[in-house]
Amino acid sequence: MNDPFYIGYLDKNPPTLARHTQGIVLLLAVIVIGLTALLAARQTPVEPGDFEFGVRRTFTGVILESPLPLLRSVSTNGAVTHYLLVGSGKYGLPAFARGNTGKLVRFDGSLIQKGGSVMVELNAPESFKVLGPATEVELTQKQERITDVVLTGELVDTKCYFGVMRPATGKVHRACAVRCLSGGIPPGILVRDHDGGAMAVPLTGSNNQPLKVDPEWAARIVTAKGHLILSGGLLRLEVLELSLDR
Amino acid sequence: MSESYRAIDWNRQKRLYDGILVGLLLLGLGTFIGVSLLRSPNATAETLILRGSSISGLLLLHLILCIGPLARLDSRFLPLLYNRRHLGVTLFLLALVHAALATFQFHALGDENPLVSVFTAYRRDYRVFADGVFNPAHFPFEPFGALALLIFFVMAATSHDFWLRNLGAPFWKAMHLGVYLAYGCVLAHVAFGILQSERSAVYPALLIAGFFVVSGLHLAAARKEFLLDRNSRSAERDGFVATCSIDEIADGHGKVVFVGGQRIALFRHQDRIYATSNVCRHQGGPIGEGRIVNGCITCPWHGWNYQPEDGCSPPPFKEVISTYKTRIVGNQIWVAIATNALGSRCDGSSISRS
Repeated sequence: MNDPFYIGYLDKNPPTLARHTQGIVLLLAVIVIGLTALLAARQTPVEPGDFEFGVRRTFTGVILESPLPLLRSVSTNGAVTHYLLVGSGKYGLPAFARGNTGKLVRFDGSLIQKGGSVMVELNAPESFKVLGPATEVELTQKQERITDVVLTGELVDTKCYFGVMRPATGKVHRACAVRCLSGGIPPGILVRDHDGGAMAVPLTGSNNQPLKVDPEWAARIVTAKGHLILSGGLLRLEVLELSLDR
Repeated sequence: MSESYRAIDWNRQKRLYDGILVGLLLLGLGTFIGVSLLRSPNATAETLILRGSSISGLLLLHLILCIGPLARLDSRFLPLLYNRRHLGVTLFLLALVHAALATFQFHALGDENPLVSVFTAYRRDYRVFADGVFNPAHFPFEPFGALALLIFFVMAATSHDFWLRNLGAPFWKAMHLGVYLAYGCVLAHVAFGILQSERSAVYPALLIAGFFVVSGLHLAAARKEFLLDRNSRSAERDGFVATCSIDEIADGHGKVVFVGGQRIALFRHQDRIYATSNVCRHQGGPIGEGRIVNGCITCPWHGWNYQPEDGCSPPPFKEVISTYKTRIVGNQIWVAIATNALGSRCDGSSISRS
């Protein structure tokens, strides 16, 4: 019956209680370290990707708005790169850049890249300059229809997946992907191989039109049937049929 | 206890308590961020803070929910209970960081008001029976988090004794039981959210284990209370009920007994036995588990004081608890079912003259 009594507004805890409390604190520290380390270690690894946030580069090339908003850039040695174009935040090609299909332009923007996929965020409207009409060489767009395929995978927004968000998939990211698709960012289908490799293939509509997709399908598993097309190093799927898996 | 209101009445133990709390939080956040970066060097800072704050908050919520029953089962856990409200306010701040960052990262800078988007981004999936298929996995998880945050806010905002006094202890206490609703919302938020994205079985296993720890401790504490009440039922005579023997109460100590359908606190002080209400006016703490300190009954939860003779707090405090007449027959303590007039003097029963 001589157990110590705790009164919180006194300056000192009775010694025996203090020792017990110290033991609890020590146990809590061990639990905190153990659980947070375990939870962190069991997370799905984040895929690589890069968004040069706050860094601006100058890009020059021909704008093509459909079926995907692209900048076709030809280097001095003749190599062609197709940059996907998006606006700031959760928006697609910004208004200041629209209506310039087939024109040679220059602008500043931030690079987004994942593996061989490259994208530019147009975030400096004042830098956007139309330099004139594109030459025949610059306009020539060689497209290679690789094969007809049926792909099943998660519907992603390409801006987040190519490097803005890491991670950029799954239920937790779903609302963001919905906003991005709703804002005009090109959709992609995330496909994985048996070795764990993954890539997001941008989706387009047929007849050189953008693909109209229900934004609420974002982060859900879809099946897309269509033609796989390679152009300027950019692989895309011209979708003939798109369905939502249950 | 205090007569006037101050933001926090700091003392050494409170500073120590808050220091340890901050230290454990930093330890948890640091460990989580460090291990995450080792595993995924590409993870963004926003993601690390978002996940770190949620995991820290979830651990803290479990601790908060466990402290109550642990203190009921073993009084040595009472030092954790005294400043539990600091844990609640910290939990709200962690939840706020998590919610603000998630709202900005996932919903802002788009074509919809972010606060609207939180609830409507994929509104069709509120229908779990869509197209004849039952699929709750796609159900929006964000509203559960928003409701939990709202509850945490209300609890944190009203955590000060100013609100306790002005709202009244019963209402305040009932309102703060909302933490259990918030816990349910957090479980649903996690189950419909991150558990649908992460593949490791560790996440659902730990969530279920946490639930069983919390509910198991509550059931154990409830069982202890139930057994106490059941064993206290006894004979009644002339409006008095036989309770326990004098030998069961050491000088300066208390004991909880069951009289007339309610718990009564008995105290032995300077060769006399006193009986008072077992419910502290502050937060309803079990007064009978307290002690006599400096001549006053002292509640074990937050140290509120009452004089054993009249149930009044010593001046300048104004709280009063009910008192009861006692009788000692042989070695047995008998307690009146009827209360004395509130604040009236009752000198208790002398042990040596019995």
